[in-house]
Amino acid sequence: MNGNTFVEVGFYQTRKYGQGTEGDTFLSRKTSDGRIVTALSDGLGSGVKAGVLATLTASMAVTFISDDIPVRRAAARIMRTLPVCRERGISYATFTIVDINTMDRVKIIEYENPPYLLVRELTQVEPIKTPVPVSAAKGRKTPPVMQYSEYDARAGDRLVFFSDGIPQSGMGTKAKPLGWGNPAVQDFALSCVASQPHMSARELARRMVTEAEGNDSWKAKDDISCAVIYFRDPRKLLVMTGPSVDPERDRDMAEIFGSFPGKRLLCGGTTAMILSRELGRKVQVSLKNRDPDIPPAGSMDGAELVTEGIITLGKAAELLESGYSGQPVRENPATRVVDLFLDSDQIEFVVGTRINDAHQDPNMPVELEIRRNIVKKIAALLEERHLKETSIRFI
Amino acid sequence: MKNAISKKRPYGLFKEIDMNKQIEVIICSGTACYVMGGSELLLLEENLPESWRDRVTISGSPCLGFCRDRQHGKAPFVSVNGTTVPRATIPVILELIGELLEAHDASQ
Repeated sequence: MNGNTFVEVGFYQTRKYGQGTEGDTFLSRKTSDGRIVTALSDGLGSGVKAGVLATLTASMAVTFISDDIPVRRAAARIMRTLPVCRERGISYATFTIVDINTMDRVKIIEYENPPYLLVRELTQVEPIKTPVPVSAAKGRKTPPVMQYSEYDARAGDRLVFFSDGIPQSGMGTKAKPLGWGNPAVQDFALSCVASQPHMSARELARRMVTEAEGNDSWKAKDDISCAVIYFRDPRKLLVMTGPSVDPERDRDMAEIFGSFPGKRLLCGGTTAMILSRELGRKVQVSLKNRDPDIPPAGSMDGAELVTEGIITLGKAAELLESGYSGQPVRENPATRVVDLFLDSDQIEFVVGTRINDAHQDPNMPVELEIRRNIVKKIAALLEERHLKETSIRFI
Repeated sequence: MKNAISKKRPYGLFKEIDMNKQIEVIICSGTACYVMGGSELLLLEENLPESWRDRVTISGSPCLGFCRDRQHGKAPFVSVNGTTVPRATIPVILELIGELLEAHDASQ
């Protein structure tokens, strides 16, 4: 939580058609002093070589800026490290670095990427940019110049930055001979936000990339990446899983559930039954569209979703670990749980620690993990990979 | 006389629909039941003979709560018209439904 807003960072990308890997890299990190530092880098060309250069650039950028190395020195060091193309005299990778402090002061350093968009109240705002020349490696025909800008973010602001795969998409087609172009890209971003004022960063990034990919007739001519940083009112999610060791606390569980200001997710059969009893609401389990690996999900009034506990949470942890970012091939209760996590900013876990003896039976065909451990793992993944705020309470 | 009938069966119509559904099967989809074979039980509906389908309701439950006490036997559990069936399998449940339907037909 920076200031009064939550900073949601969303990213989506697709690789050049036919390539085995992405040539653009996006990294984001929360520093120990609460800043959020992100970098998007586009390596020259595409495929593995571009990917390595972009990863190198983005990791250096994020590390240097997190460690408070001044921008100019950080950039000079990156430029000296990066090889320069002999023929074209240009650097091998471009970058956009965004550094947000706890007071929502945003600092942006751009080098050769398309200019970022700042969307505020459905219009585009353009902060003043200062050119910053950098002393660079030998062999360059012109000294590289970065653009530096800073501004104070307000609630509702969206910062959109992307690789050149977006404005250049569609280039050479009859519809867009010169590509999509920055003005049209801006219009598209604005129209997305206008149509859905609360669109998440993740969704906006996905739409931008999907539209660009469509311009290239779904065979992207370059790596296409888009990152969105959204300063929003936090979306809260309550995850209740597991019964309490003390049955007297069942009532408390119902109270926590009832008074929570946000979405609610129930993971666990016993948990669901306790709340159903305490609140006098029926839980229904749907036996349609079943997934072979995951127990069916259900519904209850007031809850966004009701699922089984350990197996579903275990699968959700697996999905988070594998880098799943929404848009499942086939929806199942675990992907729905992860989607709920990713669509929230502050996630509160209320974990009952009673252990069901039946789960400890050595005849069980599958090993069932201890609930607390899975929840801790999920919370850590959400914090590290998705910059979510999480809290865990044991009852 | 008309009055008397309606008193006996105030919700005649609903009752009649209910009468067709003679068997209620609830399959537990809690963790223990699911891993002990409940995942296959959830396919019960597909294994039900065509002629029984109108007479049997199948639903799932987040947890029937039987696994916590050994005296109920072992998972997976299914409840058929309120009777708990431990170590349930599709053939066992089908047999039980068959018996219950027969008993029902005999009593008619």
